[in-house]
Amino acid sequence: MREQVITGDIIADPKTKYGDAKASTRHFITQRVTGAINVLFIGLLVFIVVRSAGQDRADMVALIGNGFIGIPFAVLLAIVTVHMRNGMRDTLEDYLSGATYRLAMLLNTLFCLAVGLAGVVSILKLVFWG
Amino acid sequence: MTVRSRPTSPHLQIYRWTITMAMSIAHRATGIANYVGSALLVLWLAAAAIGPEPLNVVNAIYGSWFGQLVLFAYSRSLFHHMLGGLRHFVWDFIEMMEPGQREAIARANLVASIALTLLVWTVFVWVR
Repeated sequence: MREQVITGDIIADPKTKYGDAKASTRHFITQRVTGAINVLFIGLLVFIVVRSAGQDRADMVALIGNGFIGIPFAVLLAIVTVHMRNGMRDTLEDYLSGATYRLAMLLNTLFCLAVGLAGVVSILKLVFWG
Repeated sequence: MTVRSRPTSPHLQIYRWTITMAMSIAHRATGIANYVGSALLVLWLAAAAIGPEPLNVVNAIYGSWFGQLVLFAYSRSLFHHMLGGLRHFVWDFIEMMEPGQREAIARANLVASIALTLLVWTVFVWVR
């Protein structure tokens, strides 16, 4: 569906579909579910940032290094990256198509993977290795 | 049977500017800002994981007036997007969609995000 250039004729044809015809409902539900979970993330984030912003490493290990704080934080951060990728997909679908869309989507996936991996690995390092 | 072309939307600047439209744009803008801003959070966590020296560098940058300005904007963006998401949840249940209601909830979104940001910074940063 994303292969073709969108022209006036295609827009005028009711048979053409926009977005990902097979996955858009899933994208929608994913966005709502992860979004709801992200409210918890914001709460935990505020707690962690307020307690350890500007503090030295020992204080951060004492707080985030606590598994009961660090592990949920890592899980929630991973869920945030799913929401990020999905939300950016929405934006990309609106403005791009074809090969440009696929390239942008690849970069989107890579960025979200990088953020998720770097974040989760860093937190786990603080939890298990101090 | 002749098929008439479906009407296409006029350009954005044709419409009268409305609060719901502005908040819709703000929701996407803050979403993109949060997307970029997540790198700031991960940078801080990664620096802490690597060692005290990188953490001191990040703390110095984030603690500077410009760093604080960026973090303030990032926190405002996060709160605005969160409240915008909650507003969409309300709309998902076909509540608050009538004329007047939808404008009220959009305006409340704007006011609450400013209030929440100022509250958090006042209580936890400025006054502490």
